[in-house]
Amino acid sequence: MKNLKILLIGQPNVGKSSLLNALVGPRVIVSNYPGTTVEVIQAEKIFDDTKVNFKDTPGIYSISDRSEEEKVTENVLFEEKLDGVIVIADATSLERSLYMTLQILEARIPTVLVLNFVEDAKKRGIEIDYKRLERILHIPVILINPLTKKGINELINTILKIERISRGDFVVKYDDHIEKAVNKISTQIKGSLPKRFVALRILEEDKDFYKYLKSEKIIRDSKEDLKEHPKVAEDISITRYGTASFIAEKVTRIIPLKKEKGKIQEIIDNALLHKIWGPLTTGLSFLVIFGTLLYLGNFTQKILMNLTESLLSSLGIAKYSLITMILAQGLTGLAAGVSVALPYVFLFYLFLNLLEDVGLLSRFIVNTEKFFKKIGLPGNSFIPLILGLGCTAPAVRATRILPSKKEQFHAASLFAFVPCSSRIAIIIGIVGFYGGIKLALFVFATSLIAGLIWALGIKRLIHINNEPLLLELPPYRKPLIKNVLVKSWIRMKDFVFIVIPLLVLGGIAIGILDILELTNIIVKPFSPITTWLKLPVVTIIPLVFGFLQKDLTGAMLLSVLGSKISLALTPLQIYTFGVASTIGIPCIIALGILIKEFGYKKALLLTGASIAYGLLFAGLSWRIFSTFYH
Amino acid sequence: MFKESDILKVVKEDILRILSERRRKVPLKLIKAEIGVSHPFISKGVKDLRKENLVCIGGDLISLTKDGEDKAKDILRKHLVLENYFKRTINETEAEAHKKAHILEHYISEEVVKNIKKISTFKEKEISLRELDLHKESLIIDITIPDNELFERVVSMGIFPGEKIRLTNKIPGGIIVKIKNKKFALDKGIAKEIKVLKYEKS
Repeated sequence: MKNLKILLIGQPNVGKSSLLNALVGPRVIVSNYPGTTVEVIQAEKIFDDTKVNFKDTPGIYSISDRSEEEKVTENVLFEEKLDGVIVIADATSLERSLYMTLQILEARIPTVLVLNFVEDAKKRGIEIDYKRLERILHIPVILINPLTKKGINELINTILKIERISRGDFVVKYDDHIEKAVNKISTQIKGSLPKRFVALRILEEDKDFYKYLKSEKIIRDSKEDLKEHPKVAEDISITRYGTASFIAEKVTRIIPLKKEKGKIQEIIDNALLHKIWGPLTTGLSFLVIFGTLLYLGNFTQKILMNLTESLLSSLGIAKYSLITMILAQGLTGLAAGVSVALPYVFLFYLFLNLLEDVGLLSRFIVNTEKFFKKIGLPGNSFIPLILGLGCTAPAVRATRILPSKKEQFHAASLFAFVPCSSRIAIIIGIVGFYGGIKLALFVFATSLIAGLIWALGIKRLIHINNEPLLLELPPYRKPLIKNVLVKSWIRMKDFVFIVIPLLVLGGIAIGILDILELTNIIVKPFSPITTWLKLPVVTIIPLVFGFLQKDLTGAMLLSVLGSKISLALTPLQIYTFGVASTIGIPCIIALGILIKEFGYKKALLLTGASIAYGLLFAGLSWRIFSTFYH
Repeated sequence: MFKESDILKVVKEDILRILSERRRKVPLKLIKAEIGVSHPFISKGVKDLRKENLVCIGGDLISLTKDGEDKAKDILRKHLVLENYFKRTINETEAEAHKKAHILEHYISEEVVKNIKKISTFKEKEISLRELDLHKESLIIDITIPDNELFERVVSMGIFPGEKIRLTNKIPGGIIVKIKNKKFALDKGIAKEIKVLKYEKS
C-alpha cells in the first residue's frame, strides 16, 4: 500500500477543521508537537490502495517563527518528509492566502490550493477565475465547500496523484540586491532543503534556518553587501504580498453590488465593541455559560454518583477487602471523571467552539484584553480562567491557547485563586452553611485579592512580554454544529484518558490509607499548620487529604468535628478554614496535569508555593480580622 | 487650457517623489490613489519612467532604479529649497509654502495645477492610523513597524500599503479597522506605526 503524508495549512477561521472533517470524519488524534504545547491533529484514511495521513496544525498567516504555532508548522513542513500540502484559502480575501501559498511554493513542496467560502465571496460580488489561477501558479486549484462536500472528491483524487504536481514553477522575483544575496547564500547551504527558500528565510532573519548553513560567516557578508538596502526582511514581505495581491487582482472579478451587505454585522459589532456594552455583554455571557456549566455539572455528578453507589451496593460485596475497595474506588473515580469531563470539558468546549465559530469569541477577547494585560496576560486568558471555575485540571490544559510558555504558566498559577466547583462547594456548603453567606463572600473576596497580588507579583517576577493586540475579527457566521460537536468530542476524549486514571489512583490511595489506618500518622508532621491557622488540630485531616480528593474536604471536616461545626469552630475559624482550603493548587489531579504540561520541577514548585501562600494568607487574615473582633 | 504633456510631466515627477519618500516598493494602486489624475495618465507616466530607466516594475509594485533615486533626490531638493524660500521671504504658512513649492517644482503655470485636482501634497496629509477619525475611510501609505517579524505578520494579514482602511470602532487600548471585508483589532502601538492618507474627497 502507498503511504502519503499531507499537511493542511491555512489562516485562522478559514475552515480547516471542517475540511478535515469532510475528508476523514471525526476519527482524529490530537497530540502535542514534541517539546511544545502546540496541538497537531492527525487523521488517517485509506482511499483505494493509498493510506493518507493528514496533519492539521493551528491556523497561521505565514511561514515564520514569531509564534510557537508558526514554528511548529515550519517544523512539520521541513523536518517531516511531507508528500504535499493543502493550502486552504479564503475566497473573500484571496491575496492573503496566496501570501502563504507563495512561501510554500518557494519551499518547493507539491501544493494543492483549495478555495473555501466561494459562495460567500459570490454574495459579496467577488468571482475568482480559478482556472486562470491554476495557469499562473502551475498548481491545482479546487473550489470546495465542506458543508455540501462540494469539491471533496476532486480534492481526494488530486491528493492521490500529488506526486505529479509540479513543485515551485512559480517564483516570486525580488529586488536585484536580494536576488544576488539569495544566490550568494545558496552556495553555502547544506542539506536537501530547497536552497532558495532557506536563503530567503535567512535573509528574513529566521534563526531556525541558520543550522543549514555551512558557516554563519555568510550572513555577515551578505549583510555587508546589502548595506544600501537596510530593510531586507521587510522588502521580502512587501514584494511577496505585492505579488500575491497582483495575482489575486488578475484572477478576481469584482461585480459592484447594489445593496450594501453586512449592515447587521456592523450593528452587532457596534454593540459588542462598545466601551460599556462590550465588556458588559462579555461578562454576562461568561456568567451565563458558567452558571449553566455549574448547574449541569452538579446535576451529572449527582446522577452518576447515585448510579455508582447503587451499583456498588447492589453488587453487595463484603466490605473492607482490598479487591472491593479497589473496585469501589475505581468505579467512583470513573464516575467522578465522567462527571467532570461531561460538563467541564465537553459542554465547555461546546460553548467555546460555538462562540468561536459564530465569531463572538474574538470580540470577547478584545473586550478582556485590557484587563488581562494589566496582570501580564493576553485577552484570551479568560478561556482557561472561566474553565477553572468548573474544574482546574482541564483548565490547566486549556492554557495551551496562550502564546508563550511563560504566559501559560502564569495563567496556570492563577488557578490557585480561581475556585473550581469543588472549592466553590466548600465555600458555599461549609463556610456559607455554617458561617453565613456573608462569610462565604468574604472567602471569595480574600481569594480574589490574594490572586491579584499574586498575579501582579508574578508579572514582575517572570517579565512577560505580552504580544500587542493584533487579532482578526471574523465575520459572524452560522456555526457548523457537526464541526463544533466533533471538536468538543476530541477535547473530551483527550482529557478523559489523562484524568480518569489519576482520579482512580487518587481514590485507591485514599482507600488504602483508610484501611491501613495511616491517616493520623501521615498527618502528624503537618500539625504546625493548624497552630498557625488557629484551628483545632484534627482539621489538618481534611486540609491535607483534601488534596487527594477535593470533593471530600467537607465530608472529612464533618467526620472529624462532628456535625455541629458551628459549635466546634468560631465564625472566624470557619472563614480561615475556607480560605486555607481554597487558595492553592487544589488537588493531585491538577498537579498531575501541571506536571504533564510544565514538567515536575515547575509543577511541584507552583503547587508548593501556592499552597504555602494560601496558608500564609489564611493565617494573616485571621490575625487581621481577629483584632477587629476583640 | 493645459497640454497633455504638462500633466504627464507633473505626474511623472510626482511618481518619482512618492517612490523616494516611501523609500521602498510602492503598489501602483497607491500611486493611483495619491495622484488624483485619471489612471491612463499614471499608467503612461509609469511606462515612460520605465523606458527612461528610472523605475522598475515587478507585478504591481514599482520601485526606483539607481538613476531614478538620483532624479527623485533632485526633485525633493528643489522642492525643499523652494519651500524654504517661500517660508522665509514671503512669510507664508507652511502648508501654503509647501503647495507653492509643489507648483513651482514642475515648472508649469499655476493655472495648470489648479486644473489638475487633488495634486499630491503628500507629506502634510500623512497621519498615523491612530489619528484617523472614526468611520473615515483612508488609504494605507506606509507601515513603519521596526520589528521585522511583527511587520511580516501585519503584512501577511492583509494590512498592506495601497489598501483602503476604515476605522470602525475605538476600544480601550486600541482600534478596530476594516480592510476590504476583513476586520482587525489593533493595539495602539501598532496603529501608531501604520501611516495613512488623510482622505479629502474633492
